[in-house]
Amino acid sequence: MEDDKVRKVVREGYATIAKQESSSCAPANSCCEGIIAAQDVSKKIGYTDEDLQTVPEGSNLGLGCGNPVALASLREGETVIDLGAGAGFDCFLAARKVGEKGKVIGVDMTPEMIEKARKNAKKGNYTNVEFRLGEIENLPVADNSVDVIISNCVINLSPDKAKVFTEAFRVLKPGGKLMISDVVLLKELPDFIKNNVDAYVGCLSGAIKKDEYLQLIEKAGFQQINVIDDTHFPVELIVNNSTGKTIIEKLNIPSETIKESASSVVSIKVQGIKQD
Amino acid sequence: MKRKLMEILACPIDKHHPLDLLVLRENEEIIEGLIICPKCKRYYPIIEDIPRMLPDDLRSKEEDLDFFKKWKEKIPSDVLYKGKPFNLTNE
Repeated sequence: MEDDKVRKVVREGYATIAKQESSSCAPANSCCEGIIAAQDVSKKIGYTDEDLQTVPEGSNLGLGCGNPVALASLREGETVIDLGAGAGFDCFLAARKVGEKGKVIGVDMTPEMIEKARKNAKKGNYTNVEFRLGEIENLPVADNSVDVIISNCVINLSPDKAKVFTEAFRVLKPGGKLMISDVVLLKELPDFIKNNVDAYVGCLSGAIKKDEYLQLIEKAGFQQINVIDDTHFPVELIVNNSTGKTIIEKLNIPSETIKESASSVVSIKVQGIKQD
Repeated sequence: MKRKLMEILACPIDKHHPLDLLVLRENEEIIEGLIICPKCKRYYPIIEDIPRMLPDDLRSKEEDLDFFKKWKEKIPSDVLYKGKPFNLTNE
């Protein structure tokens, strides 16, 4: 798919998800989601009950592949940017950690998501969270101004991942940290999945191979790159969710083939540092 | 948007910082306004608290010009007629 088409389908796909009232049990073409309720997905990937209870209702769309480790390491007073903030779930958890002296800025290119995030921020009375309609390949953020960049299952959707990492490096302060989670591949997916629009929106066909992904982070200038967690994406989250189902139905693929492809999909948590 | 946040905002295109701010409607936060890059002359509207800082190809000409028309009296004419990417001259 061409880059412009990718951006268009991703924007439209997530606009549709944003408009759905509740995520629970609402089948949607979305990353890691489907017939399993958002909360169940979130617990599976490591968020605690407390995490889930303290954020405004509707901010957890269950779309992430999980970044609780990054959130746990945030310190009071830090400035944090969330790339692809969606409805704001991780931003609100981060806001609690950085406190009143810190700030959290969520960037997302989908107006419907930002609108939802803004309403959630009001609902939860957050004073240290702000949202920007912006593109993660062209961050509206000054050089050397951010302590930590978080991003949860989003960068795989970008047709220009190298630029996302270069931008992340640019806006971090010297000593600042990149702490992201994402979907990567251990081996290439078959072409019929790679070229499928639904699979792109569902965080599958945009994913690239793990070594290639880590090389892009290194090329952007990051050091001490560390994969702190590396888990197989639960197969049932792929074959039971609507993305998997759509692909299977539309293309009439044996579920065995899908399962085999699923085994090459992993969720990783990566850290990198912009050295002083 | 809070004024304090201008401290870390930059133009997404040329990364220039700091940016100019024109406040059009405000209570404890800026509800509507215009963020302007003095270097490349691009403007970014603030609508319903949210700064819209997308690159040119993801913006809506119609929305941008509607915003200009709504606040025509308060926006300086060099922005109205020379601002990028869309302005009232090339409408």
